[in-house]
Amino acid sequence: MSEPVRHPSSYRDPAGFVFQVEGIYYRQINQSYAADYSLLMDSGLYGKLVEKGLLIAHQELPNHSLLPANAAEAYKTILPAQLGTISYSYEWSFEQLKDAALHTLEVLNISILHDMILKDATPFNIQFIQGKPVFIDTLSFEKYDPTLPWIAYRQFCECFLFPLYLEHYCGIEQRKIQMAYPDGISAGLTARLLPWRTRLNFGTLLHVHLQNSIKAGSKERKAAFSRQKLLNIVQHLESVIRGLHTNSASHSVWNDYYQKAILSQDYLREKRKLFRDYLDGLSFRTTLDIGANDGYFSQILSERKDVSVLAIDADTICIDRLYRMAREKNIPNILPLCIEILHPSPAIGFRNRERASFHDRARAELVVALAVIHHLVLSGNIPLNDMAGYMSELTTSLLIIEFVPLEDPKAQELIRNKSSYHLPYDTHSFEQYFLSYFSIEKKTRVPNTERILYLMKKK
Amino acid sequence: MIGKFLLYIDPGSGSYLIQMIIAAVLGAAFFFKNLWWKFRSLFTRKKPPSQQNDNKNV
Repeated sequence: MSEPVRHPSSYRDPAGFVFQVEGIYYRQINQSYAADYSLLMDSGLYGKLVEKGLLIAHQELPNHSLLPANAAEAYKTILPAQLGTISYSYEWSFEQLKDAALHTLEVLNISILHDMILKDATPFNIQFIQGKPVFIDTLSFEKYDPTLPWIAYRQFCECFLFPLYLEHYCGIEQRKIQMAYPDGISAGLTARLLPWRTRLNFGTLLHVHLQNSIKAGSKERKAAFSRQKLLNIVQHLESVIRGLHTNSASHSVWNDYYQKAILSQDYLREKRKLFRDYLDGLSFRTTLDIGANDGYFSQILSERKDVSVLAIDADTICIDRLYRMAREKNIPNILPLCIEILHPSPAIGFRNRERASFHDRARAELVVALAVIHHLVLSGNIPLNDMAGYMSELTTSLLIIEFVPLEDPKAQELIRNKSSYHLPYDTHSFEQYFLSYFSIEKKTRVPNTERILYLMKKK
Repeated sequence: MIGKFLLYIDPGSGSYLIQMIIAAVLGAAFFFKNLWWKFRSLFTRKKPPSQQNDNKNV
């Protein structure tokens, strides 16, 4: 058996940590957390949260055989339900972050009623499992002291409320600011970025502007707090967050891509038919849809219930719509993420290892890249050969890719005012470059277009 | 800035104070809201929306 390896992001909490043995993730609970852990399990809180699907389930391991080096501190080892693709809040659309925020408040609310409270409130404690946010940090709960306010209130504001406010008031593209501040956006910065009129709004006045005016180091006044006061704050935060929204109907680069018909409805119908034909007989469990747009083809992939679909697009509004659609239609196996394939999330945090890069999380048995290659090569200036190499890194087995040649009207649009782009860019070169990494299993021209759909298998 | 990395261990001063102020403001808001609904109910048959926290049933 291989040596246990501590997860690089699991170092902040002295209560325990996550480690991995042969691809399975475990969590060590330290002696210092023993009392809180017992309270979590014995108070009925764990059972209630797991029953409602709010908290990740785990089982206690009977012995300490798996413990890493510092076994002296160990109290218990638990085996949590294993996660699929990990995602981070800076990759979530507005609705995803909003759902994660409401989820955190619901967990907090139930905890308070069980005499426990959350000691931290970061989106890194939430993962999307089967289409829904789930709290994954079993060690976040501690005994509640009703005479004190919530210790993680400021962290909740900085990590959830303020990014949501910024997207609500300043535009959905403000999502990207979270990448620059993975530990939260301060009240000071939020107050400077929000429009002046937010000083006249009850919620922003209290949580942003007033909080900003109280500087760290202000003298703490000891005053009685109570459970009801805290529940009032939680209820208020919840109603504030429920009232936040973005105008997803507004125009974006892509969001009317299909509605206005890329080439024509016929094209889409023919491509869908070919796509379904290609999928028939293929065996895969994980798939990555690059440039998923509003998820037209992701939905076809999700019809296979045992397949998990990672749908990525640079357009936040498209991803927001896809998330909402999947939520409303109750499609659990699509995870939509805001990822620009030319600028995927880097590895960040301590030693650049705390949060993995998208590339390190994105392996799939089937990669689907429909009508994206002309954007990457002609607009993004990625040489065709490099594109072939990159696709072979992303897929472990299969690739369905659509080649859009220069003669295509949409390709022409991209190069209309462009003096230089990488050549050769034609069907023959495309095939030659991709043949270095793949074998071509199927090749079909989409009727009435110059576009060609390929099914390839990695060599 | 180092304090930010220890956020859940040390919430930082100011966080408790702001919650006390917010709780006081919300308490006052609920009080006046209730008063308003009682005042209204003298003239209308409409019942006030529940101010109770349903979470007790959770």
